[in-house]
Amino acid sequence: MSTVQLSVRNVTKRFASHQALIGVSLDVAAGDAVVILGPSGCGKTTLLRLIAGLEVPDSGEIWLAGAQVASGGRTLIPPHERGIGFVFQDLALWPHLTVQQNLDFVLESARVPRDSRPLRAREVLELVRIDELSRRYPHELSGGEQQRVALARALVGRPRVLLLDEPLSSLDPELRATLRSELARLQRTLHVTTVYVTHDRDDAAVLADCVVDMRAGKIVSATNTSRKEEPA
Amino acid sequence: MWRWQSSRTMVVGIAIVVFVVCCVLPVGYLLAVSLGGVDVYSAVVLDARQRGLLYNTALLGTGTALLATAAGAPLGIALARMTLPRKALLRLALAAPALLPPYIVGLAWTYLGGSLLSDWTYSLPAAILVLSLVFYPLSMLATEVTMRRIDGRLEEAALVIAPPGHVMWRVTLPLAAPGLFAAALVIFVLAVSEFGVPGLLRVRVYTTEIFTAFAALYDFGRAMLLALPLLLLSLIVAAAAAALLGDRLVITRRTAGIRPAFLDEWRRPAMTGALAVLVVALVFPVAVLVSEARGTRSLSAVFTGSGDAIANSLVLATAGATAVVSVAVWLGYARARAVGRLGQMADILFIVVFAVPSTIVGVGLIGLWNRSGPFGAVYGTDAMLLLGYLARFVPVAALALAASTRYVPVSHEEAAAVCGAGWLRAMWRIVLPQMRLGLAAAWVLTFVLAFGELGVSILVAPPGEATLPIRVYTIIANTPPSHVAALALLQTGIILAPLALLGAAVSLRPSARARGEVG
Repeated sequence: MSTVQLSVRNVTKRFASHQALIGVSLDVAAGDAVVILGPSGCGKTTLLRLIAGLEVPDSGEIWLAGAQVASGGRTLIPPHERGIGFVFQDLALWPHLTVQQNLDFVLESARVPRDSRPLRAREVLELVRIDELSRRYPHELSGGEQQRVALARALVGRPRVLLLDEPLSSLDPELRATLRSELARLQRTLHVTTVYVTHDRDDAAVLADCVVDMRAGKIVSATNTSRKEEPA
Repeated sequence: MWRWQSSRTMVVGIAIVVFVVCCVLPVGYLLAVSLGGVDVYSAVVLDARQRGLLYNTALLGTGTALLATAAGAPLGIALARMTLPRKALLRLALAAPALLPPYIVGLAWTYLGGSLLSDWTYSLPAAILVLSLVFYPLSMLATEVTMRRIDGRLEEAALVIAPPGHVMWRVTLPLAAPGLFAAALVIFVLAVSEFGVPGLLRVRVYTTEIFTAFAALYDFGRAMLLALPLLLLSLIVAAAAAALLGDRLVITRRTAGIRPAFLDEWRRPAMTGALAVLVVALVFPVAVLVSEARGTRSLSAVFTGSGDAIANSLVLATAGATAVVSVAVWLGYARARAVGRLGQMADILFIVVFAVPSTIVGVGLIGLWNRSGPFGAVYGTDAMLLLGYLARFVPVAALALAASTRYVPVSHEEAAAVCGAGWLRAMWRIVLPQMRLGLAAAWVLTFVLAFGELGVSILVAPPGEATLPIRVYTIIANTPPSHVAALALLQTGIILAPLALLGAAVSLRPSARARGEVG
């Protein structure tokens, strides 16, 4: 049996009058990909932000790689020390930095020696198939290329857990299908523990080892699945 | 459709004509006369005296821009990225010194320094310090606005990778840099344009020399010649600032996403710093004036003696603010609805015209209106003061009202037009009511600025028709300090009263959390 890499235990979160999460518990085994499905406002993004440390749970606990990172109202380990890779819905690529500099920022922060950084960056850019774009700025890239840069930035630090917040939602169906397959390929290659938030069941079919359904701040079902291959 | 378009063209056209006549023509006239003069060569090739003036002026501008940015930018960062108690009230209090006429703070400084720092009181560093205390809120507010427009997700994406200090240094500040730099340039221009503080603290700069040449030596030609380098310097720097700001001056829509308060661990030192700045810039000057004014025998006698000046100022500032807003609202509308390069050109023009030093505006107005015929009928009346207010404050009011107009979607106007309303009716019933807060704010801002205006007023006011700033400034040399301090205090009270009312309203308003808004 695989070890649990991420554990969310009975977590609750409230924003003023809006109860975002109610007693949510979730375990993700190392190397698994969990896809969280649900309508807008059901608490999917809030759950990801709590795991990343961008929000603090009102109650409950969050564990990462055997270490408790947050507990009722307190951050025990700050976001940048949790070993998280995060792909935001709007990608959040830093507009004043080139692709290479976006990646360098991560490597600097991870204290990767200066002479190793170019190799690490090239490896991950080749992995996402955009190694020729390293000197471009985000606004010089197409939507699909920006998506790949965001993924490269999330992976270059070799995160313990990869969080993806509806990363394909703004793409046209054709590009979406292509990138979905690429994501599945990367996840299989790297065996990185992944939590993927979406409202699209096609994403779940291709990417998920486990599909979690959320409604109104609660997990209503969790189903283990076998992934469907999609032509790249 | 044609009728709808034509009423808009007519109203905006009239506003543009007023803007050109009041704001552009005096400066254009001065430029034309200076450049067409017989001795332009001496304006270009600087003699030793001119070099000294340029050096002092540049030092005053650079020193003030640096010091005001050093004080204001961290406060702006704190307001934008920290969870501070009573933030709205704190912001209002920290912004208050910008509304005080600089010479009032300068006056307080001379009372304080006169006994404690005799050698340092009347010096260039003192002028830099005083102007920085008045202008730091501009840097603070510009920094806060710039930082609020940065999408919080860009910082969050960095926060999952790097500690907060590193995120601020590598992500937030580079994105905010153009806004900070533009604010510093604007402060530079305002500082080199200032007349009251260098005059009071006996610092020789271009503005004081222009005033001396005109008012003491009656040498109009020399005044215009001296105005040329200052005018060019102000226009170039202001144009650079406007170009740096791009469309950000008027675009008011906030970016999507959230603003992470990731610097909260420095909340305590930030609050301490903010309170220290508040004490030095606002509490101290007012306290010094209060202390000095207590020496007067009869406050009522002081106020009665200057009753005409007080009444003049109140009436003229009220009329001036109304006239300025009446013109600026249409210019602001036109700017807000302009697209592409035309809009950006309008921003540059507004900033450049606003940057023209007040003494130069005054000299330009006199040159333009002091002649026989219909122009002469205006010269020598209070209308010259109103023209001065229009010349100085229409650009800034137009920019503020353009931002306010942007909050009203174009579709609201289009919906009114589809329903059969003419453009004027659509403006009156649909657009202007939605802008009422912006209009009120622009009126109060203009009233406060006009009430404290000195540089133009002292040149164009008709003989015997003093405003309160002129009265305060001209009696400094030959009237007991307690008397002057009492008048300055009255002026400060009238200027800060609207702000205090706003502060009371803000502090009584329930917080966002209490209103149940997710923040």
